[in-house]
Amino acid sequence: MGTQEPADDASGPPPSLRQALKDCAAAGLSGVLEVTGEPGGTICFSGGGVVAVETPGAPSTEVILLRSGRIAEADWAAAFAAASAGGYAIGPELVIRGLIGAGELEAVLRVAVADAMFVLSGGLVEECRAEPGTVDSQFALEPPAEVGWLLAEASRRMRVLASSRALVEHDRDRMAAAPGAVQPGVLLGQGQDEILALANGRRTARDMAFALGQGVYATTLQLVRMYGAGLLVTASQRAVTLAEQAQASRPAAVPVSEPEAPSPLPRRHKGRAQHRRESDSDAGADLPSLLRLLRPRSGGE
Amino acid sequence: MVAEDGLLAEMHALRDRVTGITGSALASRDGLIIKADTEINQDNLAALAATSLGLAQRMAREVGQGALREAVTRSSGGYVAIYAVGSTAVLILTGDEGLNIARLHRESRAAVDRIETMLAGASAVQTGSR
Repeated sequence: MGTQEPADDASGPPPSLRQALKDCAAAGLSGVLEVTGEPGGTICFSGGGVVAVETPGAPSTEVILLRSGRIAEADWAAAFAAASAGGYAIGPELVIRGLIGAGELEAVLRVAVADAMFVLSGGLVEECRAEPGTVDSQFALEPPAEVGWLLAEASRRMRVLASSRALVEHDRDRMAAAPGAVQPGVLLGQGQDEILALANGRRTARDMAFALGQGVYATTLQLVRMYGAGLLVTASQRAVTLAEQAQASRPAAVPVSEPEAPSPLPRRHKGRAQHRRESDSDAGADLPSLLRLLRPRSGGE
Repeated sequence: MVAEDGLLAEMHALRDRVTGITGSALASRDGLIIKADTEINQDNLAALAATSLGLAQRMAREVGQGALREAVTRSSGGYVAIYAVGSTAVLILTGDEGLNIARLHRESRAAVDRIETMLAGASAVQTGSR
């Protein structure tokens, strides 16, 4: 496939998932790979390439587009009705109606697929079951994403987070604003105010990603930075037995109970745009041109 | 009160086990809040849930579909699932768009049964029937 993939290591995607994906790619599968576990999910294939990933652990493309405010709900509903009546998927209808550009939609899809694969890879995988057949997903990535690239990208993101000085588990740590972090009349910008408003001790990074309509990985990076800067604290941890077992089998990732000194500056990657609230511009060197098509976000709402 | 701590612990445990649950509340059938783990107005939630459950049970009877299991409201921004807890209480669960529905169905039955047992134990103590 021509994509560099790191040697299997304990901090990457589970071997069973890795192997199942490779098998589906090699077989040229058109159908789905059902992944049971926590959070588990469904990976949709076309000719051995991944066209969609659905998981409770990461926002879908619909959630990203609607919750971020990129597409208004009324416009979405109209497009959905028209597409349903016509018997085709909503993606082309959104483009036809001028609600989003084709390039931008593809970029959002690619980011959503990579994000969902990252979440699946970081969770517990109990069983992978391939089911050939026609795929009926709301959005389909065209061209499909290569399994090798998705696995390498998931591994990279897991390494980035594992090596952060301030560790935030995206599906486990319920974050709260640190005392004094929110000051009346003071705006921090760069999406941090929205994060502080959501950080009420109940929400994990995954929960905030859904609320904001952005990727779980991008949200977790924001939380890591803010945690390292003393703006957030871990209020409680989600007690998920299965995930705990999975964590126990990996190299120790010791949660930090108190904010430490500010974390070192994030590493710069080519094409990475710092502090872009909804962007996942850390997603790989082949994406910058697509990501420039994303509508620039101004601060605030 | 031990019973109340157990209720909250059970509701927290359910939120931890099922991805996507954002909150929960336990109310009496006449619409008064018993215990809540939610940011939503508890009193409004309790009143609406009691009414919703009653309507849903009537609907299930009307269409002859047997005993109501849960009443689910699905909106663009998430879900509300309502369960009868015995004949005296209502459990309300809220979830976001990523709510793991399959896991919810698997986990909610046992949770509802445990909550019903706790409530029955608490009321037995109160009425001095021991």
